[in-house]
Formats: sequence, C-alpha cells, structure tokens
Amino acid sequence: MHIMEGFLPHPWWEIWFLLSLPVVAFGVYKMNRMIMESRETLPLLAVAGAFVFVLSSLKLPSVTGSCSHPTGTGMGTIIFGPWITSVLAVIVLVYQAVFLAHGGLTTLGANTFSMGIAGPAVGYLVYKAATKVGLHLYLAVFLAATLADWATYLVTSVQLALAFPATFGGVLASFEAFAAIFAITQIPLAIVEGMVTALMFKYIVQLRSDVLVRMNVVSQNTIKKLKEALT
Amino acid sequence: MHNLLDDYAISNALRETSARLKLFLGLWAILLSVSSTTPIAPLFLAITMSLITVMLAKIPGRIYSRLLLVPLSFALLSAGVVAFMHGSGQTLFSLQLFGLNLAIREEGANLAVLLIARTFGGMCSLYFIALTTPMIEIFAVLKTLHIPQSVIELSMMIYRYIFVFLDQAAMIHSAQMMRLGDAGTKNSLNSFAMLCSVLFLRSWEQGERLIVAMDSRCYDGKLDLMEPAKGAKPLAILAVAAYLAAATAIAVLTRGVILL
Repeated sequence: MHIMEGFLPHPWWEIWFLLSLPVVAFGVYKMNRMIMESRETLPLLAVAGAFVFVLSSLKLPSVTGSCSHPTGTGMGTIIFGPWITSVLAVIVLVYQAVFLAHGGLTTLGANTFSMGIAGPAVGYLVYKAATKVGLHLYLAVFLAATLADWATYLVTSVQLALAFPATFGGVLASFEAFAAIFAITQIPLAIVEGMVTALMFKYIVQLRSDVLVRMNVVSQNTIKKLKEALT
Repeated sequence: MHNLLDDYAISNALRETSARLKLFLGLWAILLSVSSTTPIAPLFLAITMSLITVMLAKIPGRIYSRLLLVPLSFALLSAGVVAFMHGSGQTLFSLQLFGLNLAIREEGANLAVLLIARTFGGMCSLYFIALTTPMIEIFAVLKTLHIPQSVIELSMMIYRYIFVFLDQAAMIHSAQMMRLGDAGTKNSLNSFAMLCSVLFLRSWEQGERLIVAMDSRCYDGKLDLMEPAKGAKPLAILAVAAYLAAATAIAVLTRGVILL
C-alpha cells in the first residue's frame, strides 16, 4: 500500500517526514549498538532487507487487484523488532521507488510511517501479546502479519483522509471512503500474507529452528513441542 | 525475471553525465510538481521529462510507456475518491448507486485533475532519476551527505543481495511451475510459502557465509567505494539551469489559472 509520488500535497508530506524521522533515527541508534555488540548482525540485517525487498516484488497468487504483493514487514518485525525494521523499511522503500516505481520520494515519509512504523509496531505487539497468552505459534504469526498489514492500510487511509478531508463530513467521511475503496484488495491480501508468513514459519521451524532461537523469537521449549507435533 | 529500472540505468545514454547534476534535476522537478497549484506545470514536467528520458537517455519507448501504467491504477482510484468526496460549486456529474447520491462537483474535479497531474509529473521525474543514475553513483553522493555510515553500508549490502535473491526466486519459481505447483489455490499458496521460506533460509545461510568471507578480508565496518570524479560539463549545467528556470517560471506564472 504505497502512496505514489506527488499525491500528498504541501504541508502533509513534510509532516510525515518529521514524524518518521525520530523513530528511524532511534532505529539507526539501536542498530549501531547491535552491530557494536556482535559484528555478524550487519550482514544478517542486509540479507533480511534484501529478502523483504524480493518478497515485496513477488506477486501473491490468486488475489484480485493489480498491485497485490506482500509487504514482508510482518516477518521483519517478528525477528528483529519494530525499531530496526523501520530502518530496513526506509531502505527497502527507497529501492522500491527507484527500482520498481512503487511509491515515491516526497511520499517516502508517509510510506515509512505506515509500512515501516505503524505496521511493524502493531505486528510486534500482537505477536508478543499472542505468545504471552499462549496461542499456538503459527496462529500468533498469522495474526501478527495480518494485523500489521491492516494497520498499514488503515494508516495509509488516514494519511490520505487528513490530506484530503471531504467537504461534507470532514476527515472521517473521507477516511471511510478511502478505507472502503482499499479494503477490496487489502483485506484479502493481508489474510493471504498472514497465511504465507505462518507457513513460512512452519518450514523454518522444520529446517533451521536454531535461527529463530538465536534471535529470541521463540524459546527452545516451543520449538521442541512444535517438532513433536510434526512427528 | 530481472526487470528492475537499475538495469537500464547502467546502460543509458546519459550515464557519463555527472550524477549530482542528474539528481539535482530530478529532485528539483519532483519538488516543483508537488508544490505547484495548477496541473499545467506538472503536465509540462511530465511531458518534457519523458522526452528527456526517451530521447536523450535513449530508454526504449515501449518499456517507458509500460512504466507509465504503474502509477495509473493508484492515481485514478484515489483521485476518484477525492473527486467524489470533495468540493462545492456546480455539479458536473452525478449518479445514484445503492441509494447513495454520488456527485462530482467543480472543486473536486479540479483537485482530482491536479492530483493526477502531480502524480505523473512526480513519477516521470522519478523515472528520470531511476533510469539514468545507477545506484552505485547515488551511494557515492549519499556518502558526502552525512548519512550514517552504517545505513549506507547496510543499503549497499542490501543492493548487492537483491540481485542474488531475485535470481534464486526466479529459479525456484520456474521449478515449481514445471511441477504444477500452481495448480489450484491451495497448491499455489503452499508453493509460494515454500518459495519464501527457502529464500529466507538460503539468504540467512548466505549471510552467515558473508560474515566469514568479510572477516577473512579484514572487514572493519566500512566498504570503500571509488567515486569516479566526474565533474559536470559547463554546457550540461547551463542546459539544466535553463530547463529548470523555464519549468519554475511556468509553475509561478500559471499558479492562478483555473482550468474547469
């Protein structure tokens, strides 16, 4: 859900830049500290960023609408947390704008806020809450990825509504209109992405569960239980 | 599978022009079209920027026209919402849908046209940057702009691995197609998830190998790039200045014009 270049008018694109900047700056700070602690994080972050980009350039199967590709930020936030995901998201968004013509440069701030900050934050909180309550890991992953996508799409609708309030009914009416139009593609799309992310976790648990344990995503105990369930 | 804009940027006819000049031209045009108040300047920029990209940078016209379709669906959809939700003045068009009275009024129509023009002006300028300036040259410019070192480092490594993973994804995808992995919704979902997870695991292993490779070459958190010192030619600077002055003048002079 990218806002295209030139679509946000004068005060708004600057405002979203200002709002995103501190979060991304803190993300850079966190990332620098992580790199200092263990040097091997930078290459891993790099491949994760490239992975998010490639994921977002693939077309999801069987969804209506033209631009149906996964965001991949749900995956990033579960593994690296929301702060570092925001840094990855900025870089990936620039590449998407320059390589694939998704999004733009003046709308980079707004897109970062919706895709790199709001979505991952919601996804992270949902994942933490779901695992704390004791939901099944795959269900938690599904919920996190799906809700992260919905948060992204709702924030995008809010951004467009704030910039273009309706004459009758103001921001709220405009928000409803944008949200309703985008819902047609975004609601099924998010569910598909949630399912794909959950299935991905299933394969990763089967093949390289040590990666997840090392990044503190799941505990050794959960992995053991999941593997027992498989056999 | 490779059809990234960067592939064209590496072999375009303006490759030898200074990267700073091209970035300046593109960014100025983007800012100009986003801040203009009438559709005239953005349309001028869209047309001239497209001409520059196709005629001067010699980007194939077929590919360029396909690129123009990318922003179309988003622009039309969102501008449509704006047109219906906005405005006062004379009703230009109205229809009854599910008992709702939908109408486009003068102000809303004007705003929608302006938005579509701005999107195209901005996108054409963005295409100019994307199709004429390879990423490597943009990194070199970024380094002089005091962007944190770790961010640039991360971007460069991401850039390198994008191409590796795109190839792998394409290979896995065709292998799945050949084995009818796309037969039916359930199968294609499963195949897609398998593709993603295999890609993730391979990229993770690639990352672990990258650490070893870089460690054995004494990596200390900084990859140095040699920036070829390409100064801008005076004639090029003059041409860009004249073009931007003309575009800015058009934007300023037409700021009060109302089309509809």
